Amino acid sequence: MTIPVLEIRGVSKSFPGVKALDDVSFAINKGEVVGLIGENGAGKSTLLKVLNGIYHPDQGGIFVDGKPVIISSPRQAFDSGIAMVFQEQSVLPTLTVAENIFLGREEEFIRFGLISKRRMNQAAAIELAKVHLDVSPATRCGDLSFADRQMVEIAKALSLHSRIAGDVTILLDEPTSVLEKKEADLLFSIVRGLRDRASFVFISHRLEEVLEISDRVYVLRDGKCVKELAARDATVKDLHQLMVGRQLHHEYYREARQTEPSLTTVLEAKNLSKSGAFSNISFALHEGEVLGIAGVIGSGREALARCLAGHSEVDDGTLEVAGAAVRFSAAFDATAKGVGLVPAERKVEGLVAPFSVTENMTLAALPKFVSGLRIRFADETRVAQQWIERLSIKTPSPNTMAGSLSGGNQQKVVLAKWRIAGVKVLILDHPTRGIDVGAKEDVYDLIRDMTAEGLAIVLLGDTLEEVIGMSHRILVMRDGEVTASFEAAPGLKPKQVDLVSHMV
Amino acid sequence: MAEMLTKNQTRRTVLKGAAGAAALGAVGLPFPMPAIAQETTWTLANSLRSVANPYHATFAKGGEDFAKSIGAKYEVLVTEGNSEKGIADIKALLQRSGGKLILNVDPNDSPDARVIVEEVKKAGGFVVTQWNKPADLHPWDFDPNYIAHMSFDGVPTAEAIANELFKAFGGEGGIVALGGILSNVPAIERKLGLDNAIAKTNGKVELLDFQPADWNEQKAFEITQAWLTRFGDKVKGVFAANDGMGMGALEALRQNGLAGKVPVVGIDGIDAAVAAIEAGEFAGTVAWDPLWTGGMGLAIPYAHATGKIDITKEGHEHREFYGTGIIVTKESVADFKSNPSKIDFNDLWGKATGQIQYRG
Amino acid sequence: MKIAAPAGGTWIKQWRRWAPVAVLVGLCILIGLFNSNFFGLSNLIRMLNTASIPLVICMGATFIILMGSIDLSAEGVIAICAVAASMLVANDFTGVAIGPLSVPAAIVIGGLIGLLNGYIHVKFRIPSFMTTLGMGFAGIGVATAILGGVMVRISDNEFRNYLSLGRFLDIPAAVYIAAIAVGVAWVIQERTRIGRWLYAIGTDEATARNAGIPVDRTRILIFGIAGTFYGLAGALSAAQIGRGHALISQDRLFAAITAVVVGGTALSGGVGSVLNSVIGVFIVIVLTNGMILMGIEPYVQKGVQGLLIIAAVALALDRSRLDVVK
Repeated sequence: MTIPVLEIRGVSKSFPGVKALDDVSFAINKGEVVGLIGENGAGKSTLLKVLNGIYHPDQGGIFVDGKPVIISSPRQAFDSGIAMVFQEQSVLPTLTVAENIFLGREEEFIRFGLISKRRMNQAAAIELAKVHLDVSPATRCGDLSFADRQMVEIAKALSLHSRIAGDVTILLDEPTSVLEKKEADLLFSIVRGLRDRASFVFISHRLEEVLEISDRVYVLRDGKCVKELAARDATVKDLHQLMVGRQLHHEYYREARQTEPSLTTVLEAKNLSKSGAFSNISFALHEGEVLGIAGVIGSGREALARCLAGHSEVDDGTLEVAGAAVRFSAAFDATAKGVGLVPAERKVEGLVAPFSVTENMTLAALPKFVSGLRIRFADETRVAQQWIERLSIKTPSPNTMAGSLSGGNQQKVVLAKWRIAGVKVLILDHPTRGIDVGAKEDVYDLIRDMTAEGLAIVLLGDTLEEVIGMSHRILVMRDGEVTASFEAAPGLKPKQVDLVSHMV
Repeated sequence: MAEMLTKNQTRRTVLKGAAGAAALGAVGLPFPMPAIAQETTWTLANSLRSVANPYHATFAKGGEDFAKSIGAKYEVLVTEGNSEKGIADIKALLQRSGGKLILNVDPNDSPDARVIVEEVKKAGGFVVTQWNKPADLHPWDFDPNYIAHMSFDGVPTAEAIANELFKAFGGEGGIVALGGILSNVPAIERKLGLDNAIAKTNGKVELLDFQPADWNEQKAFEITQAWLTRFGDKVKGVFAANDGMGMGALEALRQNGLAGKVPVVGIDGIDAAVAAIEAGEFAGTVAWDPLWTGGMGLAIPYAHATGKIDITKEGHEHREFYGTGIIVTKESVADFKSNPSKIDFNDLWGKATGQIQYRG
Repeated sequence: MKIAAPAGGTWIKQWRRWAPVAVLVGLCILIGLFNSNFFGLSNLIRMLNTASIPLVICMGATFIILMGSIDLSAEGVIAICAVAASMLVANDFTGVAIGPLSVPAAIVIGGLIGLLNGYIHVKFRIPSFMTTLGMGFAGIGVATAILGGVMVRISDNEFRNYLSLGRFLDIPAAVYIAAIAVGVAWVIQERTRIGRWLYAIGTDEATARNAGIPVDRTRILIFGIAGTFYGLAGALSAAQIGRGHALISQDRLFAAITAVVVGGTALSGGVGSVLNSVIGVFIVIVLTNGMILMGIEPYVQKGVQGLLIIAAVALALDRSRLDVVK
């Protein structure tokens, strides 16, 4: 019998009021890629933090090569052969690539108290080559693209195997959530190439990817490990079912609920251009319509979305709202005209985390709740309560701090905010990024509800399937220009391959 | 003052200071009580900006000397440049002493004087103000509680010391001048005195440049450096509106090998300036005698409180008056040092030099 | 997600990095046009001399600001160290005279106060703003209490010569000492672990912790290092004016923080360098010197100073980061 390189036995961890991990055991063998899936709140993050020495288990133990170890800091985890790629990037933009890779482990380059930058850069170059990232180790990470930074992050974790003697396990927490397909494929090929030297734990909401890369999959639910299964025997549908504990009882993207948009144009773009980002973008958006925009990183679609919502200014072209030309120089202007943005970086821009759910919901429509100098708190709470019920937001009370809710519920709070503000057009920038399957389905339902009520939506999807599934019409962008436009009525949806050919 | 202290006293000061450091800035420094306290119910207090500056340290000492002479309880209140704190501390002390308070206060800012006088009157204590008060606030309007206001006339003082500077370089040539904070009354008066002195030379002395250095030694250093570049050897003398700035100017001159060659004058009479006069680097300074103002600001109200005088019967020249500035130059420095100010607490107005004038 | 980098993006970033230098050069040229004495050797030396103490202070202040903290204790620490240094050389206040050893003594005292700053800040989780503000007041209070309002006069001319007045190649000793301090600070920043770590902590403390960096220890140590620079500045101040007193560094703190920020180091932490602060110090010094050379009205000088600070920060700050998402 082989001894697992990393094993946890009977680990439990409680926080006040919640048992985050309940007698969880699993094992990783040498060279194996193990998938770990579960809805948000199932205990994945807690488990990773236990393995990384940030949390200490109440019960149970961790074994490396069959020997018990105590891991009380990230540094100790590292010395035990466990490295972690964080979901939220831990690459520091102010440091160089090499400095990031060896952060906290500079001692091997130190002579007489001084760091040799030359030797550090040489060592970093070797690590970069392993992930096929062609940048100078002396580049500041702030000057890299987001995807490149993710690769630096991965290189940092992979650098472990050449630094310590024993076997190595690398924990990848949602490494692909910000990567486009091509980059994700590259990551997978790198992971496969390193299997003779390292084992991996792979965590993702993209179940297809989990099945593609993993040998075995562990499913967590409510802090318990509910199932261990071989990836080749499983389907996405099985995994869904195991995660949520119920059959997927209706169609994923709610195509049946896709209604015919009206002919009234609410937002029209005419030859919008912004230097260095996009040029000559024209389209019309109608009441009740979902307009999907597809494109790879650098296609200019994010910049376009931000301009539409007034977060940055266009250089040229006109934008009309309900037939009247408008010029947005601040997000405030856009809100006043009924255009709202649900940004990708929810924590940074969409939500004031320390504010309560109510305060977040009424933020964009506060004047509606003010008489004279006084905020009518009772009205505010009543409206918030209505929306909590209407969107089935899981929150202990309207006064709970918004930042403490799960990702999916936070997203619903952001949507409620714009609904209360009475927007006519919503720009959704990756609305389902980093939220679990159940919450995703809720968001899709909400989109259908909103269009049924006549709202118009511009959708920058997290995946191509999502854009195709949800949209009435799809614009494909490449290098800042629209390269194709597809109608996407239910039953007549374009194929992914059709879109991809115009994207790259 | 440092050079007057023996080794033992110095060490004691150090220890006392270290222990009192925490209390500093909170309530003020509790001064030690004399061994045998005589029968008196009055609390005496001097309120001032900070004992970190030599002028106010000596001012506090003057009050202590008087309190000792009559065996009274004495406290020092420190504003640290904060009007609110200054007033709050006075109110607290009025309450603690049940109104039996004699206060000698250098208000942090002119408007503070009115509030302080009103509080003292309400509580039934007695107060003397120094330097800063609104022009329309007069002691005789608050009989008998507002005993007197004491100040020094910056105009003739500055004029006299400017003349000492001119004398030091032969009465002909260019000078540069460092002023205090632009909006400050003493700064304005001292500038006026300098202007008067220059005007009386009929063009023989030229003011090359005037810069406010905000009473700050370091700024004075930097400005003087720049002047040496701009005017070079056209600078025959440096006028500083206080000794601190004068010391900054002197060090800038020293860096350029000009200490002792280009004379400097200041005002206040701090030790370092007196030493610089002895070394021939300063042409002169004006000593304000804060020991006298610190003590007499308590002695006069105490005389009234104990019935020796009736302040309401005194003329205006005894209610609002100037003290005497002592001009210290190379010729008089030895005399100044060997005869430290002797104060007769019974000679209440002996050093007063006339009723305060309001200009403009 | 990052939008496609605009064609000129790198150029703009480069410009921002060099903006403080451009401001300094522009100022020098402008002042030189008005008064050619500005470029005279003697004036350049005078400005170097004036810059020496602010440079030393700014080395410490820069480290703290890079770490995302703030240190308001500089004036108090310098006062204590200046008073200590002047009481340890031949003087008119104490009988002690340990000569040159007073310099390391002042540096050690500064370092210890700095460590205390850091310890209180980290262990009791009090914001550095409050901790250092209190420590600054306490420092001036202690210096005042020791001296009782008087000044210590230094009679050790050797001490003054080696630290400040003496000249080699016509340049005062203080300038060489400041240059060494800058060199040491640069090596700490560029070539030591603590230098890397302070950037990491200033950029994102949680990430730094996850990377296994002993964040608390590093913070305390950095406050200690800053304290040693203040200690040296204290000894230099005492040597420069030949006296030690409680108000010796009055208004130094604000000038130092201004110089750090004008040099392009962000108050938010993680961005900047000790070399930026060198440029910042010279911008402030050149401006003060230049406005007197140009004979600008005192009333106008403060306004110009304020405008320049805003302009320099506006040029150096990457405001696009506030708009386009990372």
